[in-house]
Amino acid sequence: MSDFTPAELMVCRIASEMDETGVTVLGSFTPLAYAAYMLAKLTHAPDAYMVGYNAMDMPPVELAFMGSEAAAYRGSTARWGFLRAVNVVHLANRGNVEAVSSAQIDQNASINLSVIGNYDSPKVRLPGGVGAPEVVQNYRTMLAYFGRHDRRILTERVDFATGGRYPISADARAARGLQAGPVKIITPMAVLIKRFDERPFAIESVHCGATVTDVVENTGFSLDVPNVVPTTTAPTSEQLQLLRDTIDPFGTIQFDFMSGTERIQYLRQVIELEWERAAAAVAARENQH
Amino acid sequence: MDSKVIPLDALDDVITDGDSVALGGAWLCNHPMAAVRQLIRAKRRDLRLMTLIGSADAELLLASGAVSELTFSMVTLEAFGLAPSLRRGAESGSLKLVELTALSMEAGLDAAGRNIPFMPYPGLGAPPTSDLVARHPDIYGFVTNPFTDETELVVRAIRSRVVIVHALRADRLGNAHFDGTFGMDDDLVKAADVVIVTCEEIVPTEVIRADPHMTKIPAFLVHHVIEAPFGAHPTSHVPRYSFDAPELLRYAEIAGAGGEALAAYVDQIASESEDDYRRRVIGDRAKVLAEIGNQAKILQGAR
Repeated sequence: MSDFTPAELMVCRIASEMDETGVTVLGSFTPLAYAAYMLAKLTHAPDAYMVGYNAMDMPPVELAFMGSEAAAYRGSTARWGFLRAVNVVHLANRGNVEAVSSAQIDQNASINLSVIGNYDSPKVRLPGGVGAPEVVQNYRTMLAYFGRHDRRILTERVDFATGGRYPISADARAARGLQAGPVKIITPMAVLIKRFDERPFAIESVHCGATVTDVVENTGFSLDVPNVVPTTTAPTSEQLQLLRDTIDPFGTIQFDFMSGTERIQYLRQVIELEWERAAAAVAARENQH
Repeated sequence: MDSKVIPLDALDDVITDGDSVALGGAWLCNHPMAAVRQLIRAKRRDLRLMTLIGSADAELLLASGAVSELTFSMVTLEAFGLAPSLRRGAESGSLKLVELTALSMEAGLDAAGRNIPFMPYPGLGAPPTSDLVARHPDIYGFVTNPFTDETELVVRAIRSRVVIVHALRADRLGNAHFDGTFGMDDDLVKAADVVIVTCEEIVPTEVIRADPHMTKIPAFLVHHVIEAPFGAHPTSHVPRYSFDAPELLRYAEIAGAGGEALAAYVDQIASESEDDYRRRVIGDRAKVLAEIGNQAKILQGAR
């Protein structure tokens, strides 16, 4: 099983950021990140503490579109309201991993989830950042992932900074009582890393099939290019099997890589699959009676 | 004390044109949608709407033309795309937006709930990492820390006149049980003058007493209780039902197209009772919506 998709590689790379300290929080609809958390729970970090919805310590769940929410509660160990959770986790240095996805990111690690174009008369009004501004500012590592790697997304300056991370350098963060950790951008081409406020993003690794030149040419800000750029670690067959057969049988991790039209067709299919599975269970139960 | 129970259509007398209204729930979970539909039936206008993490709640009210100002941290149909009516309102400039970061909005609501004028808010760093701070000087401000002389960001207390949340069950006085997603409903209800709890069912207080740990909202905060089965539909109410993906997909396509199709979707809701809505949209599908959550698997460790 040596063949894998960019999405699968990205899932495994994000999963490797998770450990059993701190808290991982499922943010807004980010199926690729969800898959990474479940994979970490099923492999190297089974005791990682995960929060989804109001379910504290939720178990790893199959990524179904409609049913995952209920499954999260069935296996959790507590219920907390949002206010308590954000005060204790996000704002009190207990946030470890929450990979965010945004419309743009820039050389300063600002992210844009608000507008494309001018704020007051935007070309596209985006959803808004929900908790992403606080996540990227306060979590141990800032993780940002994108379904594409191009100069419109990885841009010199975002149209609007819904959030960002300052400072970035470890000593400056520590001096302010913030968790020290870098910014990492994970794309279908590469992993970029920024450790210092005064230095640009550097290429940490390039995925199999992409080149350093591809990465530099498709990034809208200047990059530090080390003399030796490693290839991103490929997924193992165990990881791929868990991902495909157990965690994500509906293939939700492809979602970030689809066009609008593809998404609708795909949704129609997987919603029907999930609906039919439940309808069959209802029918089977009624036949018993 | 008299019962606080009122029928859904009595909302028409509680909420008036121009009112400020906050809605509970988050993402595609547990928004008070029966109340949203009733506001559409009442043809409310110029509402100042607040939703922390909105989806179908804000989107449908925006589509109906009920909203002139929206305070929010996110409004999205998630897998079903950007919220088309938010896009239209924002991109045409017809909708006034008060966009805040979610956690600072929660801090502002918390301040209101605790009767504090503003809350220190270090969550966005210094200088603040979000451009939203400079856009809303009436909500975000700066004070000098009296102990260190450092400049600190503060968030003003944020409140609405009315708040509506949807519970699993409540008694006649408003003690409300939740089991699944309740977002920040438990704290949101402290930041309003009038608190309305809609619920899947009204039960005798003995039922509440049997599981007091499930009570997230105490009666003394609540003014009105409304029984509204499937009152969060098409968003979810765990453990009773998942969100209704086929209906949300249908809505997303109609709202995306806009125009007459969207007007017809809204008019249909405006012209039918809540009972008729349940019969038309949910009907026999209720059993499947209830089962979907049971079918989603918890994964056992591989090691």
